[in-house]
Amino acid sequence: MENKVILEIKNYSKTYGEGKKAADNVSLKVMSGDIYGFIGHNGAGKSTTIRAVVGVLDFEEGEILIDGHSVKKEPMECKKVTAYIPDNPDLYESLTGIQYLNFIADVFEIGTKEREESIKKYADAFEITESLGDTINSYSHGMKQKLAIISALIHDPKLLVLDEPFVGLDPKASFILKGIMRDMCSKGTAIFFSTHVLDVAEKLCNKVAMIKKGRIIASGTMDELTEGHSLEEAFLEVESEK
Amino acid sequence: MKNKNILLLKALLLSTSRVNLYRYCKDKKKRKKIVGGFIGVGLLYLMLMAYCVAMCIGYGEYGLAGSMPGMCATMISALAFIFTFIKTNGYLFNFKEYDMLMSLPFKSSSVAACKFMYMYINSMPWYASISVSMLIGYGIYVKPAIYVYPLWIVLSLFLPLIPMLIASFLGFLIARIGSGFRHKTLIQTILTILLVLLIFAARFLIEDVFRNDKVEEIIEVTSGAMDSVSDIYLPAGWFSNAVNDLGKSDILLLVGVSILLFTVVFLLVGRSYRSINSKLKSHAASKNFRMKAQKKNSVVKAVAFKEFKRMTGSTVYMTNGILGMVLATIAGVVALVFGYDKISEVMLKATPEGISVIRPAIPFAAYFLVGMYSTTTSTPSLEGKNYWIVQSLPIEKKKLYQGKMLFNMCLSVPFMIFTILCFCITTHTPVIESALYLVLGIAMCAFSTAWGCVCGVKHIRLDWENEVEVIKQSSAVAIYMFPNMFAGMALGTLAVVLGMKVEHNLITLGFLLLVGVLAALSYRKVMRLSKKEIF
Repeated sequence: MENKVILEIKNYSKTYGEGKKAADNVSLKVMSGDIYGFIGHNGAGKSTTIRAVVGVLDFEEGEILIDGHSVKKEPMECKKVTAYIPDNPDLYESLTGIQYLNFIADVFEIGTKEREESIKKYADAFEITESLGDTINSYSHGMKQKLAIISALIHDPKLLVLDEPFVGLDPKASFILKGIMRDMCSKGTAIFFSTHVLDVAEKLCNKVAMIKKGRIIASGTMDELTEGHSLEEAFLEVESEK
Repeated sequence: MKNKNILLLKALLLSTSRVNLYRYCKDKKKRKKIVGGFIGVGLLYLMLMAYCVAMCIGYGEYGLAGSMPGMCATMISALAFIFTFIKTNGYLFNFKEYDMLMSLPFKSSSVAACKFMYMYINSMPWYASISVSMLIGYGIYVKPAIYVYPLWIVLSLFLPLIPMLIASFLGFLIARIGSGFRHKTLIQTILTILLVLLIFAARFLIEDVFRNDKVEEIIEVTSGAMDSVSDIYLPAGWFSNAVNDLGKSDILLLVGVSILLFTVVFLLVGRSYRSINSKLKSHAASKNFRMKAQKKNSVVKAVAFKEFKRMTGSTVYMTNGILGMVLATIAGVVALVFGYDKISEVMLKATPEGISVIRPAIPFAAYFLVGMYSTTTSTPSLEGKNYWIVQSLPIEKKKLYQGKMLFNMCLSVPFMIFTILCFCITTHTPVIESALYLVLGIAMCAFSTAWGCVCGVKHIRLDWENEVEVIKQSSAVAIYMFPNMFAGMALGTLAVVLGMKVEHNLITLGFLLLVGVLAALSYRKVMRLSKKEIF
């Protein structure tokens, strides 16, 4: 399988208020088949970067390319191949689960047969099929998270962006999600996700970037970064040096 | 140690304060928007003050200056009742931060009372605008003793309390009844609309009583009406007597009853506050979904359906969205059942004009009710914390707005057609003329939808804490609603005047052209706005 750059962030900076840089000259590349972990402290700039990648946050400096298209200049082309799962998904509470999934499927113009198969496959896997007829406001946090994940998977994206995807998921759902991520990655999907759980990142990712105060302080393959140590040790070491 | 209730009230006020936002916001664009909002609301206060001053001049010139306090009390009370009643569900019950607040060491009654005081303080500028401007008028025409001025100001602070408490209690009853049903939103909406209709009916009955006084002179009618209001609504009489005659018992009654009622209401509300909110916030989950064949829709239709579900999922939104349409339907049915002659006799207390004279106003009369509110004024803002969904999905803004507009058209056009048809049948309007009115009505729906969307997108506000802020109190709604209502009434009157000299179909065609152009221009503006980065 040909390895292609799916996500390229070039010198991206985001300034809030009076000159405070939430992201400072961030550059990285995520190839097809990569599971790319993005780690850092709270407030390090992970979500600011992720939100710019998926087109939720506007930015002034730098360039972000998805599958060769500029997020700034061709946002629709980028969004068509991207799926995003935020850390705390606020969904349309008055829709039922199935209505929300159909809404997303309609937006991505997915055929009826295809969507039925996808919804059934993932809803069964996450064990929420029976709840799809209920309105989202009756869902628990974990169920909302599962629904957001299913909605991100049903259109078979080239790039999957997740912000702290394991927060709020039960152990079984976390296990299933990790399996799905590996499966998608083997089919060529690029996955870019932020996490605090370094054990998960170590087991799941082939590449990692560490961010501190808006700047990338280290990035590369897992082997390059850990050099035989655990990711936790490597992170703490790099973090204390910079 | 600081009083905990004051701390809570302060936090509530700060959490939605635009002043606080302005103070700490570094984004110049946002700050400009906030200032724009202040100016817009300030203009509305000025408009209200100008209206009150004009009324005072009228009263003063006709020698009715003594009725000004009664009028002031009535206006403040009516406004306070309406403002509170429509906000109770959303502010007092079923609010977002309920879990957080109730987990803190506050009594249920304190939380409810602080929420009430929050509504009171937030609406105070409206009441103060009326009070101050009417005090100025009273001062000019009556020239009262100096102590009357502070007395008026202090007592007028108590005036909104009683109607607000009554409205809150009614809202509490509706919430309590609604919380027992599976379809809480629907039941609460129906009860709210029924109560609004009852208030309208009561208003007509009271007016009828006044008009049957057989008093011919308008001055006497007005004076008599104010006396009757003071008789029926005691706090207005207490305020009037306190200011005009320095009645000490009236001062004590107004202050005492307000405080007593406040205590009693919040003791009662506090008792079942937790259980009502728990029921309102719990949602039945049937967990019996079976996967069936799904349907594919276009993006625009999918957005319109999402809008429909958004509306039916919120009592405040649904009440606001369909109230005008329910009133239009009732007006249509009443017109059909009773006929034009009877209605003009009862409603206008006048000899019925020739039916043909009022016909050109038919589409405008229907529009006054159906076009009172457009969902497109609120829906862009209602995306709120969900904005990440539409922002991260490949939905063109153009299609998003088209979907929102499609929903409003689907909602308003059937009601517009029904109402116009009823009016046309009852006024024996010829077929071609009726058809033209229908087309004009639909064109007005298109205008209302597109113009509402312009207002909604231009004045979008995503950082709201409570949906009431964008459904009832936003700049978008105010900018859409007031000019739209006045322009509709003015055009309706113009149509009647022109209709006395020019052929009706010709006038309707002229208005059709005008409204069509305005709708097209508004739609074009929406499409232009869709190309800008607004979120």
